[in-house]
Amino acid sequence: MIARLSPAERVSAAALGAVALAWMIGAVLRRELFFDPVLFGLGSGAIIAALAIGLVVAFRASGVINFGHGAIATYVTYVYVSLVGTGQYPVPPIPNPLAPIEGIAGIEIVDFPTFISLGDSMGKAPALAIALATAAVLGLVAHFAIFRPLRYAPVLAKVIASVGIMLFLQAAVVLRFGARAKATEPIFPNDPVEILGTRVGQDRLWVLGTVIVITAGLWMLFRYTRFGIATRAGAENERFTTLLGFNADFGAGVSWVMASVLAGLVGILVAPITGVTPNFFTVLLISSLGAALIGRMSSFVIAAAAGLMLGIVDQELFRLELEWDWIPDIGIRRALPFVVIALAMVARGESLPSRGALTVERLPEAYVPRITRGRMVGYGALLAVAFWLTVFAPFQYRAGMQNSMIGVILALSLVVVTGYVGQISLMQMALAGIGAFSVASFGTQAGMPLPVALPLAVACGVGFGLIAAVPSLRTRGASLAIVTLASGLAMGEIFFSRPGWFGLDRGVKTTDPPELFGVEFGPNSDFIFGDGKIPTGGYGLFLLVVGALCCISVMRLRRSRLGEQMLAVRANERAAAAAGVNVAAIKLSAFAISSFFAGLGGALIAFNLGTYGTDTFGIFASLTVLAFAYLGGISTVGGAITAGTLFSEGIGIVVTNEWVIDVGPYTAYVAGFFLIGTAVYNNEGIDGFQRRQFHQLGGWLGRRFGRGPAVSGESTDVEPPVTPDEPAAASGVSGGGAEAGDG
Amino acid sequence: MGDPVLATRSLSVRFGGLVAVDDVSLECRRGRLTGLIGPNGAGKTTFIDAVTGFLPNNSKGSVLLEGEEVFGRSPHVLSHAGLTRTWQTLELFDDITVRSNLDVASRRLTVGSALLDYLRPRQRAARVNEVLDLLNLGDIAERQPRELSQGQRKLVGVGRALVAESSKILLLDEPAAGLDKAETDWFGAQLRHLVDQGYTMVLVDHDMGLVLNVCDYIHMLVFGQLTASGTPDDMRNDPEVIAAYLGHSGVEP
Ligand SMILES: Nc1ncnc2c1ncn2[C@@H]1O[C@H](COP(=O)(O)OP(=O)(O)OP(=O)(O)O)[C@@H](O)[C@H]1O
Ligand SMILES: [Mg+2]
Repeated sequence: MIARLSPAERVSAAALGAVALAWMIGAVLRRELFFDPVLFGLGSGAIIAALAIGLVVAFRASGVINFGHGAIATYVTYVYVSLVGTGQYPVPPIPNPLAPIEGIAGIEIVDFPTFISLGDSMGKAPALAIALATAAVLGLVAHFAIFRPLRYAPVLAKVIASVGIMLFLQAAVVLRFGARAKATEPIFPNDPVEILGTRVGQDRLWVLGTVIVITAGLWMLFRYTRFGIATRAGAENERFTTLLGFNADFGAGVSWVMASVLAGLVGILVAPITGVTPNFFTVLLISSLGAALIGRMSSFVIAAAAGLMLGIVDQELFRLELEWDWIPDIGIRRALPFVVIALAMVARGESLPSRGALTVERLPEAYVPRITRGRMVGYGALLAVAFWLTVFAPFQYRAGMQNSMIGVILALSLVVVTGYVGQISLMQMALAGIGAFSVASFGTQAGMPLPVALPLAVACGVGFGLIAAVPSLRTRGASLAIVTLASGLAMGEIFFSRPGWFGLDRGVKTTDPPELFGVEFGPNSDFIFGDGKIPTGGYGLFLLVVGALCCISVMRLRRSRLGEQMLAVRANERAAAAAGVNVAAIKLSAFAISSFFAGLGGALIAFNLGTYGTDTFGIFASLTVLAFAYLGGISTVGGAITAGTLFSEGIGIVVTNEWVIDVGPYTAYVAGFFLIGTAVYNNEGIDGFQRRQFHQLGGWLGRRFGRGPAVSGESTDVEPPVTPDEPAAASGVSGGGAEAGDG
Repeated sequence: MGDPVLATRSLSVRFGGLVAVDDVSLECRRGRLTGLIGPNGAGKTTFIDAVTGFLPNNSKGSVLLEGEEVFGRSPHVLSHAGLTRTWQTLELFDDITVRSNLDVASRRLTVGSALLDYLRPRQRAARVNEVLDLLNLGDIAERQPRELSQGQRKLVGVGRALVAESSKILLLDEPAAGLDKAETDWFGAQLRHLVDQGYTMVLVDHDMGLVLNVCDYIHMLVFGQLTASGTPDDMRNDPEVIAAYLGHSGVEP
């Protein structure tokens, strides 16, 4: 298995060996510097490793990189903690179906239970059993309801679905248990022991031992049993395993259960040591993703070893930064693992996918915007309503419109790169952060006027976006998702998460309101129209203009030759290259345009908030933006507008809050739920769904009243999607071909 | 007797231990339809992949386009240089219209032309219409490939390779596979017609009948090696060919 190493891998193995040797010598000479951190790092590395092998199990089962793995760990851990602490089993937060009625009528019809009491606090063993059973159920649901239907779906849909799981479970935890950290009684003995003269907590060693045992077990299971061999082949070639007489689907289901039980187990074992917060394991998951990738998502042993190494390197760098002043304080410690991940992926990637690596993937339709009179009237009406809401409506609507308009611009950034070119980007909010932080640095701190500071800030966003896009030239699909995630993190760590001129000032960043020709038009500035309450309409109006311009420019992009080439690259990189398309250049320009919108959106957020921290631009924000963009419709401008409406605290939410029910606390939860649903059952998002409905309605009306099928409907009235294993079923070989033959 | 448009010298492709194309040197002359035949897995597709720059890490040797060494250039550069191809598995751009499929391939996009087109869109190449007419695709130009029949899709693939302004030679990978007898005959006639108009092409196909009927010169690959070359008449009587295709339905005529 390990024997097939490329020359590059041999060189790096040798280099690794040399470093290890030097390290050992160092450890003998200065143990506090080179030995103790290693020992401590093994503790945190064990957690990373444990999550990493769970990721490998899930990937081997169904080719999914499960971004929800950490959230499964978190949810199961909270179930356990709750059972041990109070004996309460949380009911999954199912929204009360009567809520809309109750909300409007202002009464409460039924009291939905949030917990089922299973007696007072429970013993650890039964709690563990129940929690792990919950994990098993989660695994089954993940397999049967989500990833099995997605077997032949584009990687994008799989990534989105797993992001949906993450958002959904994490929101469920917050809804049921609150956002605060929880602690629980130890499971392993935790008095410290001495190892070669250094005291460490015994419990960490127990975790480490458990991880090693599990890794070895999994290795043997997948290496030597029929089940393991068939599952491994199943992810690669379903027909082959079917020939072997083994049900690959069964194997995948079992693997999903194993993966999520493993996640839950890790969480429960680790929680007493570290405590647990709703996003604790998801944050750790990023390092684990790196480790799993180093193991090529297939080797348990390498993934676990890499996880341990990442833990050690982190501790070691931490210690060295304290010891040696000359190490520049640019966030290297936290960014390094991600830079390494990105480099490793790039080294391993190919600039064009190899033959056979392509599957027939049905991506969301990227409709060509057609300019008809009806549509112009529609856009005009939309704009008029938006104008009224932005300027004259009560203040909460105005605030909603501001958030929505920014959401539209951020979603547009994803329409270009993900919708048109098919490149998944999980770093959009990091790019937005660069826009936000640099507009404050250039504008407020350096005193540059808006027409200089804003373009400069956007240019910074584009610059970083281009740097981060380089890996995209050699990776694609799920690997690209991970690389962009890593790039986003590295950007945050290096650029704005630290104090400094570009970064934070006492934990926050502050921007003065925008000003042009002596007129200030921030959200708090005076404005001639409206009721004078904050936010006033001036900034919203500015956003409306900018947002409309952005929408128009993306529509034009879709109609342009560049846009056409982007879609060609999305459809088929190899064929595009053969048709003379410079795939690398197209991808870079898409990332540049996308970063332009992201940076712009970030700068606009900066003005909107005035004062902000790094959380606004963290990975979860990036994932959430992708979620909303996909939900709205990832490949159309209409989808971006829909996404903006749904955006956190956007106009859609405000309207729902005012008129139907206060969805506030449920936003992420509901978004996660619908995101999964969209990925599995309707990959075109709300916008595409509406289009279909309209066309069907149009067609029905047309047939009904004898006008023939709706005129503009041809491009959407497609035949049922072609099944991937039989591209272009023989459907019309004779029919249409003969037709051509006559001509 | 045209000059060679495309020539390979000692072109080899290895996948690990497997030599898929083994030291192949051949020439494709201007204005001719050159056939490339061989049993399944002989390396025909791999040969095309290597010539068009898709196997930079697995191939070695030399590829001459009108006498100029082009080995090692990337696929899009080769396409601009005039080396265009179709795919055995079609590989159309499934979610844009037929016209857009051809549009993408029709002209090279530079920073300047992209910007200009963005500012003043819809200036479409007459060349695209020409090819659409040539292949009788005019009626379905606004449809998407996945709505079309297999035969129409094949034509779109050919059109996409044909449309490049700079195209000097066309490599067709089993363009007639999956068509019935009548369609194949029609398709062969179309190819012959194009060649007679001055196009240079390479035709890879299993259908010996088609290849023997329409090609001017034929090469045969077996296990990656060039085992026979000659005119259709030579090939009909070549023992190597008969051995390789023994019992194959296409040989009788
Ligand atoms: N990317 C690859 N990696 C490994 N082996 C490959 C790869 N591509 C092709 N091969 C192998 O190279 C050999 C030649 O394949 P190729 O597809 O070129 O044959 P072909 O003549 O086109 O066959 P067919 O008539 O079936 O299309 C086969 O044994 C195939 O398995
Ligand atoms: Mg072939």
